[in-house]
Amino acid sequence: MNSRLIRVQHLAIAICTVLLFQVTGIGAQSIWEVGDPISGQTLFNANCASCHKITNEVLVGPGLSGLQDRWGSTDEMLVRWIQNPQEAHESGDKYIKGLVDRYVGTYGWMTAQAVSKEEIGDIMAYVSNPPEVVGATADASADCPTIDEDKSEDSESGNMIWFLILFVLFITIALGASGVSRSLTDVLAEKNGEEMLPDSSYMQRLGGWVWSNLVPVSLVGVFFVLYLVVAGYSALMDIGLYADYSPDQPIEFIHSIHVCENEIDCKYCHHSAYESKHAGIPSTNVCMNCHKAIKKGKISGTAEIEKIYAAIGFDSNTGTYIDGDGEIGNVLPQDSYDGEPIKWNKVHNLPDHVFFSHQQHVTVGGLQCQNCHGDVSTYSVGRIAPVEEINELVDAYPGLIQLSKPTLTMGWCLECHNKAEVDLTSNGYYEEIHERLNNSERGNEELRRYLEDDKITVRELGGWECSKCHY
Amino acid sequence: MANSKKYWAALDELEGTEVFQKLQKKEFQEQIPVDEFLADERHGATTTGRRDFLKFMGFSLAAATLTACETPVIKSIPYINKPAEVTPGVANHYASTYYDGLDYISIMVKTREGRPIFVMGNSKTGLGKANARVIGSVVSLYDQARLDGPRQKEKSISWEALDSKMLSAIAETGRKVILTNTILSPSTQKAIDAMGFEQVQYDPISYMALRETHSTYFGVNAIPSYDFSKAEVIVSISADFLSSWLTSTNIECDYSAMKSPERGTQSKHFQFETTMSQTGTNADVRTMIKPSDEGNVVAGILAAINGSSIKNLDNVTTKRVQQAAKSLQKSKGQSIVLAGSNDIATQTIVASINQALGNYGETINLEKPSRSFQGNDTNVADLIADMNAGKLSLLVTYGCNPSYDLPNAAAFNEGIKKVKTSVCMNGIADETAIRSTYIAPDHHYLESWNDLSLTSGRIDLVQPTIEPLFSTRAAQESFLIWSGFEITDWYTFLRMQYNVNYSEDALYSDSTWNGAVHDGTFAIAEQLETPNYAAFIDISNALAEVSNRKGGAMQLATYVKGAIGVGQHAANPFLQETPDPVSKVTWDNYVMMSRVDMDAMGLNTYIAQENPASVVKVTSGKHTVTLPAFMQPGQKPGTVSIALGYGRGSEGEKIGNAAYQTGEKGQHIMLDSGKPMPIGANAFPFTSQDNYDITIEPTGTEYPLASTQLHSTYMGRESVVKETNLSAYLAESKKKKGTASWNKAPALNVHEDLNRDGVIDSRDKKPVAEFDLWNSHAVEEVGHRWGMTIDLTTCTGCSSCVTACHIENNVSVVGKDEVLRHRDMHWMRIDRYYASDFSLEKGEEEGVGVIESYSRMEDPSENPQTVHMPMMCQHCNHAPCETVCPVAATTHSNEGLNQMTYNRCIGTRYCANNCPYKVRRFNWFNYKGHSKFENVNPAHDSLARLVLNPDVTVRARGVMEKCSLCVQRIQSAKLDAKKKQVKLTDDLISCACSDACAAGAIKFGDLNDKDSAVYKQSHNNRSYHALDEIGVKPNIFYLTKVRNVDSNEA
Repeated sequence: MNSRLIRVQHLAIAICTVLLFQVTGIGAQSIWEVGDPISGQTLFNANCASCHKITNEVLVGPGLSGLQDRWGSTDEMLVRWIQNPQEAHESGDKYIKGLVDRYVGTYGWMTAQAVSKEEIGDIMAYVSNPPEVVGATADASADCPTIDEDKSEDSESGNMIWFLILFVLFITIALGASGVSRSLTDVLAEKNGEEMLPDSSYMQRLGGWVWSNLVPVSLVGVFFVLYLVVAGYSALMDIGLYADYSPDQPIEFIHSIHVCENEIDCKYCHHSAYESKHAGIPSTNVCMNCHKAIKKGKISGTAEIEKIYAAIGFDSNTGTYIDGDGEIGNVLPQDSYDGEPIKWNKVHNLPDHVFFSHQQHVTVGGLQCQNCHGDVSTYSVGRIAPVEEINELVDAYPGLIQLSKPTLTMGWCLECHNKAEVDLTSNGYYEEIHERLNNSERGNEELRRYLEDDKITVRELGGWECSKCHY
Repeated sequence: MANSKKYWAALDELEGTEVFQKLQKKEFQEQIPVDEFLADERHGATTTGRRDFLKFMGFSLAAATLTACETPVIKSIPYINKPAEVTPGVANHYASTYYDGLDYISIMVKTREGRPIFVMGNSKTGLGKANARVIGSVVSLYDQARLDGPRQKEKSISWEALDSKMLSAIAETGRKVILTNTILSPSTQKAIDAMGFEQVQYDPISYMALRETHSTYFGVNAIPSYDFSKAEVIVSISADFLSSWLTSTNIECDYSAMKSPERGTQSKHFQFETTMSQTGTNADVRTMIKPSDEGNVVAGILAAINGSSIKNLDNVTTKRVQQAAKSLQKSKGQSIVLAGSNDIATQTIVASINQALGNYGETINLEKPSRSFQGNDTNVADLIADMNAGKLSLLVTYGCNPSYDLPNAAAFNEGIKKVKTSVCMNGIADETAIRSTYIAPDHHYLESWNDLSLTSGRIDLVQPTIEPLFSTRAAQESFLIWSGFEITDWYTFLRMQYNVNYSEDALYSDSTWNGAVHDGTFAIAEQLETPNYAAFIDISNALAEVSNRKGGAMQLATYVKGAIGVGQHAANPFLQETPDPVSKVTWDNYVMMSRVDMDAMGLNTYIAQENPASVVKVTSGKHTVTLPAFMQPGQKPGTVSIALGYGRGSEGEKIGNAAYQTGEKGQHIMLDSGKPMPIGANAFPFTSQDNYDITIEPTGTEYPLASTQLHSTYMGRESVVKETNLSAYLAESKKKKGTASWNKAPALNVHEDLNRDGVIDSRDKKPVAEFDLWNSHAVEEVGHRWGMTIDLTTCTGCSSCVTACHIENNVSVVGKDEVLRHRDMHWMRIDRYYASDFSLEKGEEEGVGVIESYSRMEDPSENPQTVHMPMMCQHCNHAPCETVCPVAATTHSNEGLNQMTYNRCIGTRYCANNCPYKVRRFNWFNYKGHSKFENVNPAHDSLARLVLNPDVTVRARGVMEKCSLCVQRIQSAKLDAKKKQVKLTDDLISCACSDACAAGAIKFGDLNDKDSAVYKQSHNNRSYHALDEIGVKPNIFYLTKVRNVDSNEA
């Protein structure tokens, strides 16, 4: 055989071997080492954070700190486990079987995650080596507002009561003093042999006094009447304004713990805001996704969380669900269990003749929740944020539209519709509308009018018309 | 107006009676009785002084203000376990099928938060054109009269107790029969067969003669399938095929498509009938005949086709029969002849005509016949005889109500007493149920699983859309339990019919089944029938039989009304309030008579609020009914017609509140017997006999009928309907819009010499478009411009749009008394106009002199032509209503909508007074709370209220309302398009009415979108605006009606 040919063959084999080695080498390393921790963090928050923590703490699933060291199976099996837990279990892997025996009975199956192998690599890179910045935010709970167990007393109404008591006391003393003064005058007159004061009533004497001090009394009177008018008017104008309204709820649900400390996204619980007109109150089974594991609260202990268990039929001792016959040991919530649903008090009440759609504003309009609901991460139970408070959030939430009318009034809606801009270029629906404006003479004229202030607002596209919200 | 015809809604309008004069001048017929109130002397005697009154008022005001300050606390209750497919606020749609023995329609059920709120046709299956009955049927799910569990007579018992009693009854000896309607479900049939009982089927409307004829001659014992999409000529003898005959809505769809003049031609429809039926109103040539002449007419058609002479018919009918035969001969293989009669002789001759024309295998087909209406009248008669002879030990009734709708129900009711054990599966304690020993209530159709097969090769599925509301049980499950079958779960049994290996573990994994449930239908392999179309039809006996028929001076015909059907919807307030497509009467049954007969008997022909109808007594054979008489133009003189389906609950059965008559205060009117008064009278006993000689006598009493035909009439305005005939249309079909003689753009006289002929006269005209009080309103070309086009040629007047609109928009049901006061709330009405069809040519044809002809033209009420015109808010761009509203509660949107803002409205009613189309409706009452409406308005009880559409405000008292063009659907379609990031096209949007229109006459969409159907239709040269000359620029377009008539026919 030609030696050159043999050399070429050897070279080729060598190159192939190196390539092969490299490829398998990458394969062996990739899960733990080659990933990008930054994109891993995003992926982790989106897919994993609702059940896993990056510390040792068990949330719904085990904490992932030190996962690389304790993972007792192949990397490939880890990928399969994340992508399809049931299928991975069927493969008969011993370590996986151990995991299933330990966790699935109590917490149920992990949901299959739609992540690629590379993305899992990113997540693992983040989990095994969380960047410093992330460490800082993980400690963010320190910045979260603490909510007192006792709600602060309504100080204004308290003041009012003291004011009333003082006023009644003052009147009594004044009347008493005037009575004493009169008796003394009478006694003095009698003693001096003078004529006694005519026996007149308080009213007559008050009239006399007013008559003799007409100017100051009428001045005070005018101010008093003016005050009444102004106070009455503003009281009437306050009817239907519910800023800061925050009714008591059957469960003392603390938003700040969930949103700020635990960093749960709004849409995890209020997911229908993206697909329905209602943002919705989460159904009890959504609460159970976490509270199956978290049985004790930071502030109220087990008292409030037990109310969820009572509604859905969950036995916190065994960590299982109760069925219609009172039997425990079920992995999933039982429809047969006759629980009393939690009757929340609605906070954001719109009148019945108003049609409001969350998905229009959130999914299509791209508004942030904070634009109408304020910084919920500082609240205890649900609350209507006053408009001033929302306006202050503009630094934290760029793009937030600042308004002046009171929250949840029609003026507030209209003001926003007059300010909010519509992007006519990035959505097929609006592109058609834009085309019609561009392609006709009258459309051009309209468009010029719209663009006088360099922006196209919701109002210009009909956002101030009655039938947009009332039908 | 395109022609010189006179259009009129009722005789009063034609003759300009005093009542009509009054009606047309006033928008609101009922004045608020201020004078009467003030004149009441009792007010002077009250003890409340002026000061007291002011005090009370002040206190009330303060109290009202204080309560307003309180924040109302509204509970918000989430699911405990949210079903994955339910998102609060988002509607789900489920494909299903409606079958009740009369209608067979693929439907799409809209549910919100798990409760069905709307039923529409599922057009993807080919059988999915819904009619008013099916659209309205959703309300029956929430009927308070539904049974909450099994009963033994009146006592509630448990299912276990019922089952054990049934099993011991089954063990006894004796004839055991199950009486059903036509069972179209293969699986249900198997469950019935499992019990081993003898089965007898019947249909309230029997088609036995039609079926027997095809069985005798062609060897297929079934009703043929009729293909109207190929029929150029249709000759119908008393068959109401657009309203109740066979699968009427799907026929309507094909029929209307053939009517469209844009094809270059039109189908031609001859109707020979006694009753002015909805189908008859659509006929190009309609001839009035007596019931006894039906046979002679078909014999005449056959004779004319064969070239022999026509016997036993009068001149007019003979002439029309010849015309029909001539048309038929021109369209061999492309025509349909059909008869509604259940008479074998008639049907034999009809089959022979169709055979001679070569229609079998073309427009009429027996390879895939219809399986419906397999009822056998002979077997039923035999069963009743055996029942009365005490031979039955057990009778099960399923899917039928024989105590009401059998012609000899009286004999049945006697017989059932002698049956040892009887069980009724009906969900309501109706006529049959209360006479049975046990009631085993079946689920409502919206709660059930079922499979149905109308023709071979396909199965349509029924699927539940809600958990059963009551402790009812699927009838099939009861059958399986009583038969001792090993599988008693109905759903499992059903699934196993299509997959023998089905087990509960595989509940969701069968993708074929899941696909079928999603679509509502699936195909199966089935053999076709092999009919012998060339078989010899022996008609000699039939001809002899029909020619021997002699009719008396007065004859009777029965018919089925579009909304009520055969009585199954008697307790449905929406359907009771839907005006009859022809007579426009709501909430009632009556005897339709011709004017000649009524005048001769001295009966009242003008019916209005102040003019009650005269009551007559009609006797035929042994049966007598007493009903008000209604003057129906087009009714054959010497005949009367009575609708079936009324007189339900004559023994005071609890079949639903709306099934009984209500008085002025909304209370049920009680009979002397202490039972509530049913609506109308039962005409089923007439159906088993020929009613060729009846007696009719006035009773001298009166009875008010609530007809909407004179409600909302236009005042002296004529350009409402435009009409032409086919030849005139074709002559100018290529002309530009507004120039054809049958659709001229209106012009008005001006006081200037426009044509420069030196004089100012009537020839100086300016197009209406150039007159304008308002600045132009910007809706064209920019953004959306919502609009609707309505083709008067294809609209058949069926009224399913009216019912669909009623339910979709939470329009209040107001009851008969309020309809009488012209306060019906329908956002949409169908104006039915009659027009004279008499002309000099016709006078010549009928052999009457010129003078007589002119006098007949003055009395066109005899056999008028009819136009159906759906009318709703026209969404005028220059709306007269908007300018007069003092609070701007009605305004115009830049999408062309005339918006009505209820929360702003203060109820001045100026807008309604200023509306030229009279389409605005005022809420005179709090319909959802006032006791007057508790028996008719579903919003009254907590259960029926669930049918309300949560996306539409329930209007309060004192506000105006009107058609919004389903703005809730517009908004939601726009949102969907935005979310999908696509252009909003026709397939994403519909109104309730356009959705419900089986004829495809109503189209809705964006007039600014050049690809939309409405854009194309509105640019059609047939399109015009109603009352174009007043220049209000509506967004609703009508398309000129084109009739396929020659000038010597009309």
